[in-house]
Amino acid sequence: MIDILQINPGLWVILAGIICAFLPVSPIRKALVLLAPIFAAVMIFQIYGAQEVIGGVINFAGMDYTTLRIDRLSMIWGYLFCLAGVLNAIYGLHEKCKITDSSALIYMGAALAGVFSGDLLTLFIFWELAAISSVFLVWKGGEHSYASGIRYLAIHVLSGVLLLAGAIVYGRANGGDFTFGNIGLGAPGGWLLLIAMGIKCGFPFLHNWIQDAYPKASITGTVILSAFTTKLALYALARGFAGEDILIYIGAVMTCFPVFFAVIENDLRRVLSYSLNNQLGFMVCGIGIGTPLAMNGVAAHVVADVIFKGLLFMSMGAVMLRTGTTKASELGGLFRSMPYTTLFCLIGAGSIAAFPLLSAFVTKSMILTAALEEHLWVPLAMLLFASAGVMEHSGIKVPYFTFFSHDSGRRVKEAPWNMLTAMGLASLLCIVFALPGVSFGYKLLYSLLPYEVDYHPYTPDHVIFQLQLLFAAITAFCILKKYGLYPSEKRAEIIDFDWTYRKLGLGIAKWIGAMWTRLSVNITGLRKTFIDNAGKRLYQIFSPAGAMSEAAPSGLAAVLTAGMLVIALLIMFITSV
Amino acid sequence: MAKSPENLSEAELEERTNAHPMSVPFLWLGRESTIKNFMWLPIAGMIICTALGLIYPPHHLAPWDFFGSWTVIGFVAYSLVVFSAGPLFKLLARNEDYYGEGGLPDPEYSTEGDHHD
Repeated sequence: MIDILQINPGLWVILAGIICAFLPVSPIRKALVLLAPIFAAVMIFQIYGAQEVIGGVINFAGMDYTTLRIDRLSMIWGYLFCLAGVLNAIYGLHEKCKITDSSALIYMGAALAGVFSGDLLTLFIFWELAAISSVFLVWKGGEHSYASGIRYLAIHVLSGVLLLAGAIVYGRANGGDFTFGNIGLGAPGGWLLLIAMGIKCGFPFLHNWIQDAYPKASITGTVILSAFTTKLALYALARGFAGEDILIYIGAVMTCFPVFFAVIENDLRRVLSYSLNNQLGFMVCGIGIGTPLAMNGVAAHVVADVIFKGLLFMSMGAVMLRTGTTKASELGGLFRSMPYTTLFCLIGAGSIAAFPLLSAFVTKSMILTAALEEHLWVPLAMLLFASAGVMEHSGIKVPYFTFFSHDSGRRVKEAPWNMLTAMGLASLLCIVFALPGVSFGYKLLYSLLPYEVDYHPYTPDHVIFQLQLLFAAITAFCILKKYGLYPSEKRAEIIDFDWTYRKLGLGIAKWIGAMWTRLSVNITGLRKTFIDNAGKRLYQIFSPAGAMSEAAPSGLAAVLTAGMLVIALLIMFITSV
Repeated sequence: MAKSPENLSEAELEERTNAHPMSVPFLWLGRESTIKNFMWLPIAGMIICTALGLIYPPHHLAPWDFFGSWTVIGFVAYSLVVFSAGPLFKLLARNEDYYGEGGLPDPEYSTEGDHHD
């Protein structure tokens, strides 16, 4: 008899996704999309007590696969994915699409199963399943998203292949033990695993799939995508590479560079994709610091980030649904038509900017404090700079150009009730997880963290200095805007590092293709000429009408035969010596 | 802040008619005078918080910490980001269909159907 408490909760969600693919009735499908993450959360609660749980060991092809491992680190990711699944399900209730419902569930289930994987081979299976199932959400964006989807798939499959290669090298060096624990860069296969995780996590120069695919996915698809892939990679990094110094600097760079792209980007869903990259940087940096405070900060900020970033993508999705665009140059003044969406977007913007009483204030500050305590001055300076940058792109630019700024004259309907409900719940969580002094406020969030928490976010100096930074940034915006120094939003394609493979690489490949074609044509011509000439010559010599068939004097024939005999004898003599 | 209906101009009446009922009490947010005077709010907040920094100094000091340092960091960092936009745009901006894939969705390219229902 199968013990259901030995089954990875993610597998139930995957099963629900497979069933969804064959369910023609939309309401039943929607009920399944909503209930599957709730059921998975209940299963996590049933399985996990206070101690680490390891189970679901399967022997296949002579190897043991640990399909279930829940501890304090994976638990918080597990609950978070279930919460995100519920919010996404509510947000997508209006969309009657079998492919979206099915792939959303399989994708979420794969991510959930991935964080509960006890070994690297099981992780690889769900890593790839998450990639393959999620590409359909990109393709649901329409014809223009096809190429992006292909690139997304190629990059993620590459990440999976590197993960598998790293796992094999690591496992063989450990006598066939593939247990997914702390790996470190010194371990065999460590670098391969880090790069595999870095691709999914959006490391600098490996990040472009985020800004390429997310803005082109469907409205619901973008919201779903923002919650799982990068967070699964963050979990893997936290599990395998906590305390690796290189991650501090990678993370710090990740927080800064997207700020410069976001300020010139016109499409606000792409701005949010850069913002996602920027927030991932804070967490990667925290993983690199690796102290209990930093790791708690990472886990807490993952929760906050999934909620506020999901909320911001939701609000832009609602705008997209009603206006057909999220280009800043085409929007403005929508607070007149979409007051609730405006309010929810402002809460999301305030949360990501880390205003007191909103979520990032109690989460991001843990990572900054950890950097301060470790005297990591350069990374800390970069994180502070990035905090002001966050205020620019997500705190001000997204809500201002959408809902305020100049009036675009668009008078549209408010978002559908289900979208408003999902945004309302996400907004509520942004506030609740930051409430001071109550057991269900930030203390509830802190109680779920992997280590004991001894951190108090609401100290007078923290509140005052954070407000100094934020008010100064808003003042700078107002002054620059007043004196016409703030750049206007213009329609354009902003090229990033993906130019190297989308233009340069493609150009080189096309050039090689063209050269190869020309070379083939020339070689074919040369070969044809050579064969033709040789054939003609042979014909002229050996054909019935050829030179060899012509009557020759018998004396000459005798001389030729004698000459050939001499040559044959010489060869035989030389070879026999 | 909201005016009574009899004191409204024709344009204001039209704006009120077209707006969402929940937005009507907040239409003053879009007025020129509000936008013009909004800046005093963050300036006041900045000054107050900077002054409070004297009473509540930071527990952990970074090497660059001085009176009002976070205000300076916020202002300078934000301005730096914005001032970088001009040269960066010149360097990195291309035509919207540069990659030949139809660009990002907008009313011309969107596949989501009629969004003005």
